[in-house]
Amino acid sequence: MNHGETQVATIAAEDLTALTDSLHRLLQDRSAEADVRRTMETPSGYDPELWRQLAEMGVVGLVIDEAYGGVGAGAVELERVMEEAGGALLCAPLISSAVLAAGLIHALGDEPTKTRLLPSIADGSRIATVALAGANGGWTADDVAVTAAAAAGDGWTLSGAASFVTHGQVADVILVVAKAPDGLVVFEVEPPATGLTIKPLPTFDHSLRLAELSFTATPARRLPATGPAWAAVEAALDLVRVALAGEQAGGAKRTLEFTVDYAKTRAQFGRLIGSFQAIKHMAADLLLESESATSAARAAARSLADADKGAPAAISLAAFACADAFSTITATAIQMHGGIAFTWAHPAHLYLRRARADAQLFGSPAAYRERYLEALGA
Amino acid sequence: MADGNAVSDNALRDEVRGWLADNWKGLPKPQPGPGGAGWGISPQHKAWLEQVVDARWAALRWPSEWFGRGLPDAQARIVEREFAAVGAPGTGQDRTNLWANTALAHASPTFKAKIVPALLKSQVNMCLLYSEPGAGSDLAGIRTRADRQGDHFVVNGQKVWTSGAATADYGMLIARTDWDVPKHRGISFFFCPMKQPGVEVRPLHQITGESHFNEVFITDAIVPAENLLGPLGGGWGVLQTALAYERSVMGDGARGPRSGVAEATNEEPLIALAREAGVLDDPVIRQEIAKAIAYKKLNALNNARAKADLSQGTSSSIMSLGKLAMSRILHEEARVRTLILGAGSLLEGKDYPRAEDANFLTLNAYFTSIGGGTDQIQRNIIGERVLGLPKEPEVDRDAPFRQVRGNT
Repeated sequence: MNHGETQVATIAAEDLTALTDSLHRLLQDRSAEADVRRTMETPSGYDPELWRQLAEMGVVGLVIDEAYGGVGAGAVELERVMEEAGGALLCAPLISSAVLAAGLIHALGDEPTKTRLLPSIADGSRIATVALAGANGGWTADDVAVTAAAAAGDGWTLSGAASFVTHGQVADVILVVAKAPDGLVVFEVEPPATGLTIKPLPTFDHSLRLAELSFTATPARRLPATGPAWAAVEAALDLVRVALAGEQAGGAKRTLEFTVDYAKTRAQFGRLIGSFQAIKHMAADLLLESESATSAARAAARSLADADKGAPAAISLAAFACADAFSTITATAIQMHGGIAFTWAHPAHLYLRRARADAQLFGSPAAYRERYLEALGA
Repeated sequence: MADGNAVSDNALRDEVRGWLADNWKGLPKPQPGPGGAGWGISPQHKAWLEQVVDARWAALRWPSEWFGRGLPDAQARIVEREFAAVGAPGTGQDRTNLWANTALAHASPTFKAKIVPALLKSQVNMCLLYSEPGAGSDLAGIRTRADRQGDHFVVNGQKVWTSGAATADYGMLIARTDWDVPKHRGISFFFCPMKQPGVEVRPLHQITGESHFNEVFITDAIVPAENLLGPLGGGWGVLQTALAYERSVMGDGARGPRSGVAEATNEEPLIALAREAGVLDDPVIRQEIAKAIAYKKLNALNNARAKADLSQGTSSSIMSLGKLAMSRILHEEARVRTLILGAGSLLEGKDYPRAEDANFLTLNAYFTSIGGGTDQIQRNIIGERVLGLPKEPEVDRDAPFRQVRGNT
């Protein structure tokens, strides 16, 4: 991945197409609607066999450097892969482990940490996540509610709470952002650990896993960083924002596709409902939303990969534009279907639930609009 | 469309660079036309276009017998980039000159030989005679008639939304030549001479207070038979060619504020306006500004992606979305300007330039959301041609035009 200033890691365009094509086929086969419905009701919320296949394909280690067993790709490739994952409503700790945690470890820049943690994240054998948000679900430095204290020797203990921790209940490794006497620092905790309680949170999006973590003098390993820890967290979050934007664009596109397909087959008043302007005009408006989301997500990915000056604006734009597009499309899709999509058996609500989750995770659309204006100098 | 020997990219680039270095001396700044409507083309500009056409730089993809070089698109773009680099106009007309493209594709040999060079050199002024008071969105419902009399047609009817009619030498006219076939099949397409007694032009007064359009009343106007484009009764097909070229250049030309009172540069206009109005720290206004700027930026990203798709040979559905996007951009920007100004938007006149701008843009946004086919028609087009949704049943589609209600 591209976390240095000069390194521009990408894979060839044809390799990317080959990867997204085989991922598309794998997800068609293993993340079909029935698979999603089954997996989302399991305690872990992911299918270990599919996770193993994703790792084999290089999806899990996509943005992890080759030196640590990854593919060494960057934001552009990640975004495309996430479009496929979003389209298929993939239930997996992809963003938690392969993007957020892996991105943070890379950004901290500490060689021994990378060597110790990244290979097992890349091959999917261990799942990692990051505990960052406080009780109210903010993802800023001010929201950090875990405090670190020096213990005997060179050890540390953590106290406090972190909430909305994605896949916290299935993680083998938890990277905890905490307030140390010398500022924000990232610590490593491997559950089960003394004084650590992990409480799974019930989620509106059943395909998501969130947990609330509380720490009471929990022993933790302090991770060295080559720069300020919060800058590393922000770098990882940027990668997450691009990944999430890709997931949203992919989900939005798929939702529009099955909605338009339905309008071509459902007849009322002796006509296919797609011939009514009431439906047709909604579909045309949604196409604009969907294409705009794809453009925004891909532009943000390119901008981040190139580390260009416009990256903060491009990433913020993608964050709220893709969130709004996915939310609007999934909400309108239910209305366009009519009664059939008000039933649990219809998949439209699964996409709506995912859209509503994606729109709040790691920051709200309103917060990203504010960041966007700030990036534009206002 | 290779024409004779292929030329290498480098040789072509050297040739055009050398030619521009020898010939391009710049042009005087364009001046507004009479009454502030449109921009006049100066004699110097016309002389330059003549040079460009004669040197066969004007329409590079066209064959050599039609002022072109038969270049593939990629090479034509090389030349166009060189022209753009020095700011010289006149090339790329095979992509952008609606009139010349339509004439080249459909005019009779005698008329084509006369009109195409004149169009490329902007020696004749043109206007569009399509819409009628009774045929707006339903353009195929036109009732202006053209009746053959010997070697010419006699035209009677009324056209509307015609810009440039007062100065035009020709109008691209659609008129009904057969009333006993269904509406799309009885239409013919003409280059109608405008400077004749049977053509009367009256300016239309717009909601913006301006007059960019005219009504054209046509009474026993004469059109030579050689000015017929395409077959008799085949005008609807010709029109599709013309509309495609028109749409391909639309969306580039949305207008900004007209007060002429400078806004801060290097900053998004809405941000500058809010800063000036002292409301840039209002969180509600900030949210609205971010949304409005985002619409504009997303459209730019869509267009960039569409171009990239096209250059890789995959056609893009995004192109058709540009007009819809532009409508929203313009209406939203005007709305947010009004929000920023608050009560200030109650005023008008030259002492209140920000209110002038906000109010003008509010009204002028309809230019894009109604003009060139309403947004509602565009949504039909996107729904049917891009998403493949079934067409709305049309009750008059297959009936002889004369028998359809309201047409007799």
